[in-house]
Formats: sequence, structure tokens, C-alpha cells
Amino acid sequence: MITLDPAMLNRVIKPARYTGNEWNSIKKDHDTVSVTVALSLPDVYEVGMSNLGLKILYQILNNREDTAAERVYAPWVDMEAEMRERNIPLYTLESLKPVREFDIVGFSLQYEMSYSNVLNMLDLAGIPLFTAERDEHMPIIIGGGPCTFNAEPVADFFDCLVLGEGEEVMEDIIAAVSSWKKAGKINGRSGILKSLAQIGGVYVPSLYDVTYHENGMVAEVLPNCLEAPLIVTKRVVKDLNTVEYATRPIVPFLDIVHDRIMLELFRGCTRGCRFCQAGVLYRPVRERRPELLLKMAKEMVESTGYNEISLTSLSSADYSCLPDLVDSLMGELKEQGVSVSLPSLRIDSFSIDLAQKVQQVRKSGLTFAPEAGSQRMRDVINKGVTQKNLEDAVSAAFQAGWSTVKLYFMMGLPTETDEDVLGIADLAYKVLDLYKEIKGRRGAKVTVSVSCFVPKPHTPFQWFGQDLASEFERKQQLLKARLRDRSITFNWHDARTSFLEGAFARGDRRLGQVLLKAWQNGARFDGWSEYFKYDVWMDAFKTCEIDPYFYATRHRDFDEVMPWDHLSSGASKEFLQREYEQAVTEELTVDCRREHCSACGVCPGLGVEVLDWGSRA
Amino acid sequence: MAKLRLEITKGEEIRYISHLDYASAMERAIIRAKLPVAYSEGFNPHMKISFASALAVGVTSQAEYIDIECKAEIDVNQAVEHLKATLPMGIRIKGAAYMQGNVPALMAIVNLATYEITVPLLAEDIGIIEDSIRWFNEAEAVLYMRESPKGKKEIEIKQYMAKPITLTALEKAVRLILEIRITPTGSIKPGEVLGALVAMFDLPVDIDNLLIHRTGLYISNVNRQVSPVEL
Ligand code: SF4
Repeated sequence: MITLDPAMLNRVIKPARYTGNEWNSIKKDHDTVSVTVALSLPDVYEVGMSNLGLKILYQILNNREDTAAERVYAPWVDMEAEMRERNIPLYTLESLKPVREFDIVGFSLQYEMSYSNVLNMLDLAGIPLFTAERDEHMPIIIGGGPCTFNAEPVADFFDCLVLGEGEEVMEDIIAAVSSWKKAGKINGRSGILKSLAQIGGVYVPSLYDVTYHENGMVAEVLPNCLEAPLIVTKRVVKDLNTVEYATRPIVPFLDIVHDRIMLELFRGCTRGCRFCQAGVLYRPVRERRPELLLKMAKEMVESTGYNEISLTSLSSADYSCLPDLVDSLMGELKEQGVSVSLPSLRIDSFSIDLAQKVQQVRKSGLTFAPEAGSQRMRDVINKGVTQKNLEDAVSAAFQAGWSTVKLYFMMGLPTETDEDVLGIADLAYKVLDLYKEIKGRRGAKVTVSVSCFVPKPHTPFQWFGQDLASEFERKQQLLKARLRDRSITFNWHDARTSFLEGAFARGDRRLGQVLLKAWQNGARFDGWSEYFKYDVWMDAFKTCEIDPYFYATRHRDFDEVMPWDHLSSGASKEFLQREYEQAVTEELTVDCRREHCSACGVCPGLGVEVLDWGSRA
Repeated sequence: MAKLRLEITKGEEIRYISHLDYASAMERAIIRAKLPVAYSEGFNPHMKISFASALAVGVTSQAEYIDIECKAEIDVNQAVEHLKATLPMGIRIKGAAYMQGNVPALMAIVNLATYEITVPLLAEDIGIIEDSIRWFNEAEAVLYMRESPKGKKEIEIKQYMAKPITLTALEKAVRLILEIRITPTGSIKPGEVLGALVAMFDLPVDIDNLLIHRTGLYISNVNRQVSPVEL
């Protein structure tokens, strides 16, 4: 057990990030279990504690008598300095034991910009960074989360990466590690890695060799032993009604990003937005039954004492029984002062009615994501939203008494012209006009947030070359000049951060050196603008003689071997290519949730099916 | 309406949480315990609970007080039993009573706080420690510069000291007992008193490693000194 000096904790900001003892946290005697797991998200406590996947795994793993699961997050820069000065190794919040002493350390990889924190945490833990440098006494380092579908840039640092949903595969991994330990860690490190490689959805990067063409492109990625499959395919839970959920989540003392009950209505979203990675990775749509959700909600209010329930899913308004569910939730929980909230709104008047019903706080305004300004552009990305949908939704909102609207967009989408960019401004003005028409006076406030599009692997736009940072900046200025009205607030993303994210999102294993170099030169918390050190990253690319533009801004041909072609989401490359071609010709694809199947390959390939209670009633 | 007053602790397990965190931890425990607590009216209803005095990050306490307004008066022992099962580590219930009639807010009546400060010694000779405490106790006035994000402000400390500081020698550390007045116009924090002792009276202690513990909150006048649950 680590002792924490008062001097250290008195000095850092928010010391409660580092002291644990929260309600519902679970402390087990390590001598009574066979496997210990440190669950982590490589970001600060408030971010890590908000992750739903880790909450679920924490409960599932701790339900097992043979396993103790604990938590560890990235110490903020002040705490890191204190720990380094005092030689305090990274420790978990439950037992205050060094992370190094655990059997498994699992990192949830949610965004590429957290990679430098992974290296920093391994280093703080005193764990060798490279998988090749670790022997059987060191923890097995596992990665999960969306980034694993192309975690090639961190492949050299991880022992294995898990593709897809963790509920079932984590139990398989625990079983494998437990029997390996019982057998005296038979065949050492390589013994356990080879046995893990045989579990569906588990990718052990060191068991694959990558070769490159002279032009720098990947030639092939092939297993170097019999145990490793040619293609690793994601794990998917067939029926969410039958798996454990985080019904006893930890209630933190300090405010975290999502400080409320998260009720996951369904998984997957097949609206088919062509830029969206989550839409491909979590196919198909699988809903939980309304009766089960109601039961879960009540359990969670009782186990946490939270007074707010957020209906969480990729697009919650699409839940087939939403109005009934909201009615019963509010009916049964109102007495206890519990409110219901919707994190995202669909762009239609149905959503406004719902928002009104749950009395979402008016002052914070309503948020919509048209994603693109012009109809043409929205057709390209298959965002099935028309100008009329938008006008109806916004009008309904104004009529219901809202006056503040936030609109989210992207720029740098394939085929985008300046006219499309300026369409964003037209839309913002249209919203202001609508308010005037409805209320007979000015008074609406519109916030326009525009991010820089980062093409992601496993999406129809995976072949598309990202805009140059200078091009993003030019478009931002163009738009800024048009958005001069004082009722409009314009926010945009840092183009250079998006460029780096773009390089890593579609990078290959060679980027591991760049990551190492940048971390050595001080990169960490890259997702936090105040700590993002662009120059450090560019220097690292230069030192390693690696060209970031090759990864971020280069257009790929359809027949190029992608660094992630051996990692499968179940959606076929043919489907993605078809979608890209349809994007260019501005053709729409329907949602397979309630309309016909668009043959992405997931259901037949993985033996799963769409579960939508509305469509079969 | 019934007002349930509890005497509770803030233990070592939760030393580093803030007062706001402590308050929301209580709020959530009350929901879990299903106490018939009252809420304010309005668009954003909040639970009707109030505390005696905020406790800083890094400070523990054996005597915190909370008033909980209830819609119904359930049996005290039953309320305590329910709540005990839902309190996080570090919060214990030491006393409970319903307050009868229209009682003034805790905030308004508590006027004395007692503390124990434990801090490692930087000198062997206890005599030096005793001297510096004695000089402080004998001083007419001690001016201390309070620095906050809002700026600097000079404060006279002695007006808030209800009694002279006393000390106990421990192994390689010293324990100081402080009694501090809480007045309508302000007070002084125990950490600030120690800061003044180190800066102005050469108290040879490792101030970075101080541990502060609140031992009592009282309603005190010339005749008697009682805790809020003894009223
Ligand atoms: S296989 Fe068909 S039904 Fe299943 S997710 Fe893909 S498009 Fe939808």
C-alpha cells in the first residue's frame, strides 16, 4: 500500500481525485482472488469516471468472486510532478496498491489524443513501455474502446487490444489469465499472449508482422504464429437484455463530466452517417426492453442517490418506446425528485415535444447537430435531415419557449465547396429569422460550433484525404466573416489538433516511435488545449523522419491495403466503398433499423440481428 | 415540517473532499435512505438541508451538524438506522434530534469552533516550540496577510482566539489545540493561525504536512457552551 503525504495532497488541486473511498467502490482482499485488474481511462478522474463502458466492466468483474477490479486515472500535471518527486508509483484508488502489481491493466482508448497519457501512465507505474520489454511478472496491458479498431500506432505498447463490446470478452480474458496463473504462468509471457489471441475479438499485435511497400504504404499484415487468426473480428453482445449492466455505479465525491445516472437504452445506430465511426463499430441496433430499463432505473436511483437520469445512446430519440418510457420513468420517480434528461436531440418536432415533457432546463438551450450547412452536403454525408426538418424543429422549440439554440457542424467533408461552408451561416441566420417571425421580435441566441472533420478508419470516408490545417483555417475565416451578427456566437476547433488526430486515426505501427518521442519531449493531455504542444509533435515526426501528411491528408485508392484491414467491425470494405461512391453522387442510404437492410455484412457475418421493439410490434 | 438535526463526522477516508462534495454526498445518502426530505418549490427544486459551518479540503471533523427538513416526522432512531446504511465511508452519525419550533439556522447560531492541529516537528527541543506558542498567546495583536484569488487582505488574528493555544508533544510531532470564534463579521482558519505561527513566531514545524481536525462546534455565551444537538 502506498502512503500519501498530506503535504502532497494539500498542494495539488482537487486532491479527492486521488483518494478514493467513494460510495459503491469495492475493496477486496487481493489474497482471496485469483486475478486483479486495474481499469483505466488515460485522462483525468472526472473524464475517466464518466465512461460508461468502464462502469459496466467494474461491476461485471467485481461480481466475480475470483477477480478484484480497481480504478486508476491519469494524475493531473500537478500530481504527476509530486509523484515523480517523491517516487510514488501510479496506484489504484481502491487498495492504493501500485498498478505494477496487478495482473491486468486495461486502458479504455476513447480518442487518439489520449495516447501520450497511456505512455505516461505506464512510465509512472514503473512498467516497461514496450510489450517486448515486459516479462511475465509485469501486468498484461490491454486496450479497449473505439480506438482499438485501428490502434496500430500504439500496437508496440499493448499486449492485446480488444475489439468490440467488453461484457463477455473480459470474462473470457479473466478465465484465460486465471488458468495461466494457476498453471504456474506456463510458457511465460508468450504462453498467455498466444492463449489470449485465440479468444474472439482479442488482437495481440506482437503476433503479427507488418511489411511495407517502397512507397511507404502497407503491403501486408500477417500473423507470425498459428494461434493468431488472419482477421480479428469484433465481439458483439447479441441481446443486451441478458447481460449485466452498471446498476451500482460508483458515486464520486467531486463533480465529474457526466454526474448522473446513465441509462443505456440501446446500442448501435444505423442512420448511416458516412463520417461516423461509432455508427459502423456498434452495429447492429439492439434495444433494451422498456420494462427492463424501468427496473434498472429504479435500482440505480436506489443504489446511487442521483436525482437525474440521462437517457444515453448514440441517438436516444430513436428508441422505439421512448414516449412511454419517459412517461413511466417520470411517473414513478418524480416523488423522489428525480428528473430525466436527453443528451442529444433529433432534429424534429417529436424531439422538441419530448424535451418539453422532461422540462429540460431552459436556460441551457437546445442542441442540434445538422453536421453540414447545405442540403447537398447533408446528402453527401447521409445525414437524413432536410431544411424543412430543421425549420420545423427550431420553430417548435421557439414556440415552446426556448430562445437559445446550439448548432453543431463539421467542415472539411468530402466534396465540400465554399458555398457549402457558407451554408452554415445561412442556416444560422435562418434560425434568427424564424425566431423573429414567430415571436415578432429579435431575441434568439445561436451558437454555431464547427469542428474540423477527421476521417476515421472503418467509415465510408476512410479513403478521403483530410483538409490541410491551412485550408481549415481559411474556411474558418470565411465563415467568421459571414457570422458577424451579435446574436450569433461562433466556435471552431483548433485545426492543428485535428490534423494530429487525423494522422493518428489512420496511422500505422511506425507512428509508435513518433508517439514515444513526443511523450519523451513532454507531450501529455493532448486533448486539453492548454497542454497541447503542436511543436513537440511536429519535431517528433521530423526526428523520426515520418511524414504526418502521408497519414492525414493523403487520398487513398480503394485497393490500398489499410493498416487496419486485419481488424474487422463486421462491416465489409465493399459496403464502405459503396457508401463512399454514393456519397459522391449524393445518394441516400436508408436506416436498416426500421427499413430494409443495406447489406453492410454485420448481421450475417457475426450472427446477430437488429432488435427494435417498435418495428416488430 | 420537522427539522432533523444530526451530528456527523468527516473522517480520514474523505479528508480531501470539499465542503460542496461533502454536502452532495449527504444529499445522495439521504435520497438512498429514502428519508421524507422536503424540496424547495420552483423550476429547479433543491433539497432542504443546511450545514453549520463549511469545512475546508484537507480538514477532518468529529462534529459537523446538518439540518434536514422533513415532510413527515419519522422516528429518530429509524431515520438514523436508514441513513447509517447509506452513508459513504468517513461519515458517521454521532447524534440526532428533532428541533422543535421555529429554530434559527445552524449557520446563524454556531459561534465557536475547536481544532486539533497535528504537525511534524523540525526541531528536537520542545522548549523552542513552547516559547513560540507562548509569545503568540501573549501578543496583543497578530496581523496576518490573507491571500486569496480575490486579492490580499490584512487580518488581526487574536480577536478570533477564544482561548490561548495549548500544546501536547507527540513523537516527532506536536499537537496544538485551538479555540476559534466565528463572528458575524468573519473568523480565521486554523491553517492561517499555524501560518502566522510559522512566519512570525518561528514555530519550527513542517507546515506542508499539517493535519487539521475539527473537534467541536458550539454555541457559546458567558453562561454555557453547548453543541447544536444539545440545545
Ligand atoms: S447487416 Fe443489414 S440489418 Fe444488419 S446492421 Fe448491416 S445493414 Fe443493418
